[in-house]
Amino acid sequence: MITYSDASVAVRADIVEAHRVAWGRIARPGTWFDGATRVAIAAEARCVPSCALCKRQKEALSPYSIAGRHDSLGILPERVVEQIHRIVSDPGRLTRTWFEDIIASGTSDAEYVEIVGVVATIVSIDTFCRAIGVPLHPLPEPVAGAPHRRRPRTARQRGEAWVPMIHPKNLEGDLDTEEERVLAKYWGGVLANIRRALSLVPEEAYAWFQLVETQYLPGKWMRDFANEYRAITHAQIELIAGRVSVLNQCFY
Amino acid sequence: MLRESSKTTGENYDLTLLTGTSGDGNIPHGALLVQFAEAVLGSDDERLRAVQSEIRARMGDAALVDAAAIIATFNAIDRVADSTGIPIEDNKAEVTADFRAALGINAFAEKRGEIADPRDRKSGA
Repeated sequence: MITYSDASVAVRADIVEAHRVAWGRIARPGTWFDGATRVAIAAEARCVPSCALCKRQKEALSPYSIAGRHDSLGILPERVVEQIHRIVSDPGRLTRTWFEDIIASGTSDAEYVEIVGVVATIVSIDTFCRAIGVPLHPLPEPVAGAPHRRRPRTARQRGEAWVPMIHPKNLEGDLDTEEERVLAKYWGGVLANIRRALSLVPEEAYAWFQLVETQYLPGKWMRDFANEYRAITHAQIELIAGRVSVLNQCFY
Repeated sequence: MLRESSKTTGENYDLTLLTGTSGDGNIPHGALLVQFAEAVLGSDDERLRAVQSEIRARMGDAALVDAAAIIATFNAIDRVADSTGIPIEDNKAEVTADFRAALGINAFAEKRGEIADPRDRKSGA
């Protein structure tokens, strides 16, 4: 179980709890992958900093002109390794063509989205550990069980993003799956695209933003500039967020 | 959001701080927090330890933890946005067009072969 008891600073209890929940989710069967595969995805993401191919691609002006094999754990198919390594090492230069190649190589769009969710979770928690100066947590033991493989019928490709997403308007009325019902309860009103990005796998979309809201700010606090809710101000929070996004060359 | 905060509070934040210019940008400890973000995303462990110590000394342990949580969030959320190809929303594109152009942020989208402003796609540009 995740603990920050050895950290030289006191970590907020809600962050500790959110990280425990997220760690548990990595280990449990997801929508399209079992627990062992999800833990393998997280483990593969941790291999990226030592991958020679990723280093050469990152340094290249044209990253897609550099061919080769990634230094991987050898557990996951090469197409999944390629997805994980590129997202971790050079996210600012991902292209639609690269995405379409991943899908053409045999990863379904829903599997792709679940992989993104696991990668985002491990990157986020590992980044937090580095930032407060503690070692990375050992990865969790996989939990046995099968993925439920329910695809939300409300997720559609409307030409907005590379992946199909759910539109909040489609979450009204009778819904097929429990996952959609959870999103319908949690969402509401106009939603930023970043909240919808993983909605092809509703559990990932919901869980990812539970972690985001704990580490960052819940939506209702985000625009409440009259009050401060953290030990740093809104302006300081947004400065850090903006600087990180510029360093990652993230346009969104 | 930084600009919205600036407008709402009446403070005049210098948004060029986002692209690495020096100074605090009228935000308390702005330069130090930018250094922290850069150090966490970088690979120089000694520099990171020095910045962590300085934040604890000048801003306190709770500030270090909360700043770390923001870096952790956005280092991952950027990857979600970039790997799913979500566009910036029309309303955000409109109100941020001037400073995105001024800060050179549109180049991030163009480098990926994407249209920086979704309104251009609709107008056939």
